[in-house]
Amino acid sequence: MPEAPLLEIRNLCKRFPARQGREPPPWVIRDLTFSVNDGEFLTIIGPSGAGKSTLLNMIAQIDVASGGEIIFQGTRIAADDPKAMRPGLDRRIGYVTQDDLLLPWRTTIDNVLFALEVQGRLDDKSRAHAAMLIEAVGLKGYERYYPHELSGGMRKRAALIRTLVYDPPVILMDEPFAAVDAQTRMQLQEDLLRLWSLGRKTIVFVTHDIAEAIVLGDRTLVLTRQPTRIAAEHVIPFPRPRDVKHFFATPGFADIYERIRAEVQ
Amino acid sequence: MTTIDPSSALVAEAAPFVSRKTLVMGGRIALALGLLLAWQWGAMTFGTIFFAYPVDVFWRIIAIARSGELAEDILTTLRVSSIGFVIGCVAGVALPFLLRRSPRWTAAVEPYILASQGIPKYALAPWLILWFGIGDLPKLVIVTLMVFYIPFVNTFAGIRGVDQRFVNMARIMGANEVRISREVIWNSLLPFFFTSLKVSLPRAVSACIVGEFLVSTAGVGHYIEHAREISDTVGVFAGIIVATALVLIVNAFVERLERHALRWRPTDRDMVL
Repeated sequence: MPEAPLLEIRNLCKRFPARQGREPPPWVIRDLTFSVNDGEFLTIIGPSGAGKSTLLNMIAQIDVASGGEIIFQGTRIAADDPKAMRPGLDRRIGYVTQDDLLLPWRTTIDNVLFALEVQGRLDDKSRAHAAMLIEAVGLKGYERYYPHELSGGMRKRAALIRTLVYDPPVILMDEPFAAVDAQTRMQLQEDLLRLWSLGRKTIVFVTHDIAEAIVLGDRTLVLTRQPTRIAAEHVIPFPRPRDVKHFFATPGFADIYERIRAEVQ
Repeated sequence: MTTIDPSSALVAEAAPFVSRKTLVMGGRIALALGLLLAWQWGAMTFGTIFFAYPVDVFWRIIAIARSGELAEDILTTLRVSSIGFVIGCVAGVALPFLLRRSPRWTAAVEPYILASQGIPKYALAPWLILWFGIGDLPKLVIVTLMVFYIPFVNTFAGIRGVDQRFVNMARIMGANEVRISREVIWNSLLPFFFTSLKVSLPRAVSACIVGEFLVSTAGVGHYIEHAREISDTVGVFAGIIVATALVLIVNAFVERLERHALRWRPTDRDMVL
């Protein structure tokens, strides 16, 4: 009997509340069902406006569902009751958003330590861990810089390790590398894969870049346009560690790329 | 992982021919000279009943500084205006923070606070004297009331303008409500807070001086009012100059504080006020 999935999404629905005196708006997400295994790197790809951010917001418990269930480690989360929502589910779900959302009044190091600070877990060991992560993504020497003094790629790295540092079992990522140039994006993907190979967390990574979904993922879900459902599922068979920079030359890549491209409308 | 030279993160600026600072300084000095000339011209045209000569005013200030009168008046004015300022500011900032917790209370209280803003505060003076006598207290109340609305309105606007995404991010990372107030809300508010400081500090000093016109035995306002009573135009001008200098000094202090507290902010040098 296979292990129970870490995170299960069952018949999840979302529609935004109707304005007074108007027709209720259409469903953004309708009967969406999938699961994520422990230690899996799941990538989700879909056309823009497919409700990808809304989906992650619901899993992260900062947005209410209009129906359906979210089950985390076998426990049902009250996804549709705003009063019962616990953002981040007691630090078990981390979230790297599309905008880096670094606190502009904190320096790089203070942004990275923020979560540990509010969780009361700041000690020599966690500081050393933070310093290791800062070095691993090439931010050493920038600890005392404010976010506006950093380049876009550096801000993404800081935002990434700010979540990695407190070690949540699941990390949601919402197109975190969408706003940087192709060269920087590859570098960031490489960094992410290396960091992931160290900790093997469960990652749900949303993107609209097909190549990114294939390079990073163990499995890729393809979403439809609104109302969002699952159009297809692909197991990405390529072995790890993967060479991000030369991945296009991997035998079989073009084939799977074409298949997914045909499914993304 | 490539390493990047830290200095490359900063954009190099081309040096203009005449430095910007020199230009601004030159402009300021030219304006000051122009104003002095206009003042001198006014005194020569309208006579010493309506205008005092700049030179006379200068010597008067030296004279009252030597006699100790100046220091006493300044201290009196500063004492009342700073106490009133602090009370008004603390209340003006704290109240929106308390109201943030309850949208219903906010909706109930806000129109009353905004309506009470319409009361002309100086018109309260006779009533305040009735209650508190002619000591510092009535002036203190006026200063507090004059100051309160500025941080109150600004803090309210600031709290409403806080980027909710930062709040959500902090919650996801495990921050509780107190922590969110202190970290996200307060820091997002700081620019608003300093704007209100800059507006309300001069207002506190002016309110105190006007209060001293009405009821006082010492203070810069008392000096001006007393000079007016004995038709001492030089004295009136000297008092106005001292009051202006006082406000400028206090403002310079706030600006230093602001630069330090907001050093994280990318500054647009053309918008520095």
